[in-house]
Amino acid sequence: MTMKLIREIWQSIVRRDPLSTEKGKAELVFLNVWLHIHPAKVKRENLRFTHTFYLGFITFFLFVILVVTGILLMCYYRPDPSLAYQDMKDLQFAVFMGPFLRAAHRWAAHGMVICVFLHMLRVFYTGSYKRPRQFNWVVGVLLFLTTLGLSFTGYLLPWDQLAFWAITVGTNIGGYAPVVGPMVREILLGGHTVGEAALVRFYVLHVAVLPSFLILLCVVHFWRIRKDGGLSRPLWKLKSAPPEPEPELVTIGAPAASAPLRMQAASREKTYGLMEVVTGKPIFETILPEEEEDSVFSYPYAFLRESIAMLVTLIGVMAVSLVVHAPLEELANPAKTPNPAKAPWYFLGLQELVSHSAFLGGVVAPAVMVLALLAIPYLDRNPSRQLAKRKWILAIFTVFVVANVALIIIGTFFRGPGWALVPPWVHVAGGTE
Amino acid sequence: MMEKRLQQLFFALSFLALALVVVALWQASTPEWKTYQRQFHQLEAQGEPDAKARAALLEEPLEIHQTMLTGLGRVDRCTTCHLGVDDPTMKNAPEPFRYHAGLGPHVQPKFGCSVCHGGQGLATDRENAHGKGGSSEESLLAPEFVRATCGRCHDQGDIPSVPELTEGARLVETRGCHGCHKLNGKAPAIGPDLTDEADAHRTPEWLEQHFQNPAAVTADSAMPNEHFNKEQVRALTFYMYSLSSMKMANYYLGARLIPGAAQGRQLFAEKNCLGCHAIGGVGARIGPDLKGVTGRRSAQWIDEQISNPQMMYPGTSMPDYELGINARKSLIAFLGNATPEDAKSILSENKRALSPEQAVVESGRLEFMHFGCAGCHGTELQGGTPNKNAQGGEVPALVHLDQDYTHDEVLNVVRKGRVPPLEKANGPVPPLYMPAWKQFISEEDIDRIVAYLYSKQEKEKADEAW
Repeated sequence: MTMKLIREIWQSIVRRDPLSTEKGKAELVFLNVWLHIHPAKVKRENLRFTHTFYLGFITFFLFVILVVTGILLMCYYRPDPSLAYQDMKDLQFAVFMGPFLRAAHRWAAHGMVICVFLHMLRVFYTGSYKRPRQFNWVVGVLLFLTTLGLSFTGYLLPWDQLAFWAITVGTNIGGYAPVVGPMVREILLGGHTVGEAALVRFYVLHVAVLPSFLILLCVVHFWRIRKDGGLSRPLWKLKSAPPEPEPELVTIGAPAASAPLRMQAASREKTYGLMEVVTGKPIFETILPEEEEDSVFSYPYAFLRESIAMLVTLIGVMAVSLVVHAPLEELANPAKTPNPAKAPWYFLGLQELVSHSAFLGGVVAPAVMVLALLAIPYLDRNPSRQLAKRKWILAIFTVFVVANVALIIIGTFFRGPGWALVPPWVHVAGGTE
Repeated sequence: MMEKRLQQLFFALSFLALALVVVALWQASTPEWKTYQRQFHQLEAQGEPDAKARAALLEEPLEIHQTMLTGLGRVDRCTTCHLGVDDPTMKNAPEPFRYHAGLGPHVQPKFGCSVCHGGQGLATDRENAHGKGGSSEESLLAPEFVRATCGRCHDQGDIPSVPELTEGARLVETRGCHGCHKLNGKAPAIGPDLTDEADAHRTPEWLEQHFQNPAAVTADSAMPNEHFNKEQVRALTFYMYSLSSMKMANYYLGARLIPGAAQGRQLFAEKNCLGCHAIGGVGARIGPDLKGVTGRRSAQWIDEQISNPQMMYPGTSMPDYELGINARKSLIAFLGNATPEDAKSILSENKRALSPEQAVVESGRLEFMHFGCAGCHGTELQGGTPNKNAQGGEVPALVHLDQDYTHDEVLNVVRKGRVPPLEKANGPVPPLYMPAWKQFISEEDIDRIVAYLYSKQEKEKADEAW
């Protein structure tokens, strides 16, 4: 009786036949959720560290760390100006492992912004946004913006001087946009200045809206990787295979690129999908027989490597958090403006531009940057992924990246009181005077 | 081969991650304060003869102690380490366990520590609790300045044991600080609001240097150098630490005035009690003679009578002066030993009645001092405070007003303020300017101040004419 119950419970969890049977062996793979996200087999060359640096995976795992530490922090935090700062002090001084938790959350957040950016660079330089992966690049850019949004909304929550003024400056930059700027700013802040309404709104965005949106985008992003034929092939592989065979692609619902735009007539002989009719060949890059030989099972080959990347990420975050604690300045004081008041570091490039021209830094630059990033796969008509054949776009993108990084470095380290150019090794007396 | 290596790496990293988790747990579970609490329990156990009680002491749980001071808007965790603060047997214990003697009514559970000593009450480690210099909100006040914070609660009347504060308040009133500096949101904002200036981000050293020579610590400071001497510098620094925008509950506000016979005498004179009462026959005869009243009535009865005369004697002509508890205590303390000589000296202090014109000028002079006009224009209207790039390079004297302006023009300058004419047209804007006083001073008071200014004119003019 009991044995029967135990077996029933076990079978309700593991819905496959015993491994002693052939069917059971097959179902071990088919019914496994992880092998559902991953393909059961991956190309050996794609596992090479230097192809992807596992940056996308690391970014996602940093997000997992952020969710876990974030939920724990939520147990101690109340989003009200009179309580928030007090709660931060309690986290710092009274909560068991509070400082470690906060530091882990903060450093993982900064790490995520950096990794998502590096991941974008990797995808760009390997030309992996090209057909058929154009839309996944767009999803990726949206993920990048959502990550910035998460970091920005989280920045306000400690309610100290750093938080208050960074958000004040950051939302002011957004307010420069014509017509919509002030409106968006007012909706975001729930008023004209950063106050209790802003704190609640940022909190809701930070713990509910943006994470849900990010998870949704992640689902699409990961799904598209599989549906677009797995990871792109490494560049060195392209060199060894001279005339790259253009893979025959058929996307669901839409005819092949070469076909004239018309709906296929439904046929009795075909299988009907739920929404559209599937016609033609398989829907992703076809795997040639020789490639089949070059692929390995995801378990254990891919999983082992990903576990190592995960452990390295975890160790990195923990090690930094043990040594460097998250900063907490004095209580937010709207009457006392620090000089200089700086936006969060990833917006300092924009603030630097704003200091020269509000219209350029607050409107033109961010709009052009976001639109250009989103449009890259559609503007870049060059089908080749080889570095030597993409000189122009590589040059433009590199200038864009270097300029951004340089502006952020200038804004972070070279700007002193009154936004005057002060090298970091020069000490300025007075400060808030 | 490769796979084998990666597997080994995986296991090695797993152990490393686990080790870091252990380090984090260890770091979190061995805070400084636990060491101090163990030391304290040992100290307690040393003096305990009974073995069982000794063992119990050593096994007391280690926990954070905190004093919730809702009335002061603070939480102090200082007693997590300073465990002997309210234990007289710890009189000779080493720090941080020593008994805090001489607290009087300021018991730790009601007042905590940080309201007097500064420092960060919420912190549970030495570095953060005591601060590392910098702002005093985060740092402990140096012992010689702790007395200054008495003024945060006792902001009415004088504090007998802190003469520095009396002197500081007098200097602020007479040297015209309010002409530029806000206090609790009042007055114009040429200089910073002083209310939280010291409390939030100034060290005593900075303040003392600043009062000796403002330009020494803040380049281009508009504040004139008042050439304060050493005692005055100390008094002003004390005064700065007595200011606070801290919100206090009624329990603490009740103690704003420290009761004492001297305060009582002052009140007795201020409220003109001798207008109805007499002491030993000196004074008026409308009310009873108050000589020896504390012998005839209990202190409680007198207190009741002062706070609610109609209840004790329905229909009495004794007014209710709405005096606070400590003010009433002071009066009773004074009445306990009041002599006819006291009454005589109070009566002799009463000044001769002023004519209506003189009264206007006199109250104008008082307003002139109170609103800090003297800070720039000088107590004798002589002006002369340096003001870079203003015409003449200094704040103008006010003794020749009637030669340059009409009465209405003067009124308007006081009401609406004025930026002084520039010496060099393309030079910087002068740091000092005349603020618009309309929002701070009532129209009647402005009239009186101008009347005072004109009273000074006539004299000067007469001098010149002869």
